[in-house]
Amino acid sequence: MKKKPMKKRVIGFVKKLIGVAVVLGIWEAVVKIFHIKKYILPSPVLVFQSLFDPAKAAKNDWWLHIGTTSGEILLSFFVTLLAGVLLALLIAWSKPLNKMIMPVIVLLNSIPKIALAPLILLWFGYGLQTNVFVAVLVAFFPVVINTVTGLIEIDDNLLDLVNYLGASKRQVFMKIRIPNALPHLFAGLKTSATMCVTGSIVGEFIASKNGLGRLLRSAQANIDMATMFACLLLLSIIGLIFFKLISLAEHACMPWSDLGGGEE
Amino acid sequence: MEEKKTLLSIRDLKKVYTTREGELEALGSVSFDVGRQEFVSIVGPSGCGKTTLMRIIAGLMPQTSGELIVDKDYFDPQKDVGFVFQKALLLDWRRVIDNVLLPIEILKLDKKKYIPRAMELLELVGLKGFEKCYPNELSGGMQQRVSIARALIHDPKLILMDEPFGALDAITREKMNFELLRIWAESKKTVLFVTHEISEAVFLSDRIIVLSARPSKMVGNVEIELPRPRTLEQKLLPEFNRYALDIYNKLEVK
Repeated sequence: MKKKPMKKRVIGFVKKLIGVAVVLGIWEAVVKIFHIKKYILPSPVLVFQSLFDPAKAAKNDWWLHIGTTSGEILLSFFVTLLAGVLLALLIAWSKPLNKMIMPVIVLLNSIPKIALAPLILLWFGYGLQTNVFVAVLVAFFPVVINTVTGLIEIDDNLLDLVNYLGASKRQVFMKIRIPNALPHLFAGLKTSATMCVTGSIVGEFIASKNGLGRLLRSAQANIDMATMFACLLLLSIIGLIFFKLISLAEHACMPWSDLGGGEE
Repeated sequence: MEEKKTLLSIRDLKKVYTTREGELEALGSVSFDVGRQEFVSIVGPSGCGKTTLMRIIAGLMPQTSGELIVDKDYFDPQKDVGFVFQKALLLDWRRVIDNVLLPIEILKLDKKKYIPRAMELLELVGLKGFEKCYPNELSGGMQQRVSIARALIHDPKLILMDEPFGALDAITREKMNFELLRIWAESKKTVLFVTHEISEAVFLSDRIIVLSARPSKMVGNVEIELPRPRTLEQKLLPEFNRYALDIYNKLEVK
């Protein structure tokens, strides 16, 4: 409700741009002053050339790689969201299920998921499905654990509030537990979002024809530092946009969350 | 006279909790009647089972022994009770108006029909124009008033109030007491009000039930015969202070 005025937002954005420009400037200067070889640290200019100079950019099909990786990230994110929330609801709904499933989840969560990637490659073979599966595996647990916490840990007084009117279990879920879990769910999703990016890249490292992770590996083989840095830059931009989208969704789903306390 | 009719009869009500250290008597054999449209307060020291008593009446926990007798034709303990808790307990994700309408949703009544009533109640508690706000935009006193509107929305015959103004400062609290009396006079409800402030109880009530410290016993059932509407000046009257002193004596405060 209380949006910052346009002028302040523009000034804030300009400040961020200046910050980035200063870092790039220092980087360029250091490379020039100390004559650092481009196969050790490429200058920002070289990195940008590999992305935007038509002659150099043509050797990599950037949009294909960006599209492949973004697609994997989004797909793994939505699978994580759907599966995570469904499982969390199931666990919170039934106490016996909670007692049975939660220890298994905690146990599975203690496995370093990335280490399972080679196994998953053997099971699912080369391609999208392996990458997505690795990403989901990595990103899944924070969503489940956070959402279950939000559904179960509730001020008992809030339950009294509806129970004295004889609320059904379904009503308690719809009116109290699920809205109460929303902030927890989004906290989990933000953690998962980063993990989806990591998971997708690791998936591409081990099994992929396209994607920025794949490109990163082949550039490594050619000691093409400029392309490697360009990949890293693109990945961080994709990660940032993705994170921002989740923030926007959070504000849209919870319009009450960013209101301050009022005075009479 | 309708006012003399009994709404609720409490007979030898007892509650014993089983804890690791053994049995803990939270409420020891309490009996009293509450008449229709009567304002009854329950006073007693902390831990004397006031809240336990309210929770049993609201059906939130079973009693260990004893009976709650109600005239089933007149009063349905599930639908005809409104509960105002110590904390406002508003749902952060609902606007004020939707918080007020929560009991309507739980009781599966037609929500649309109750919207005008919700607006009237918000006006009654002095929050006209705030219906679209979220709870965290309101002050503590305003939040508690929303919770009073919420307790009244389904037109309950009995309002249970468990130290509803305990968390408020003394000035706001005094204002809220006046508002409560005004709402009570206008809405013709029966109120059962828990407090440990003796002067507050004398000021508000028709009758005061006095409970002793644990193991709690009922040590008094005091009629307050001060004229209504109550005024601040009455607090200076000798009668007012005699009632307060009487209750202090019953509680063995020396």
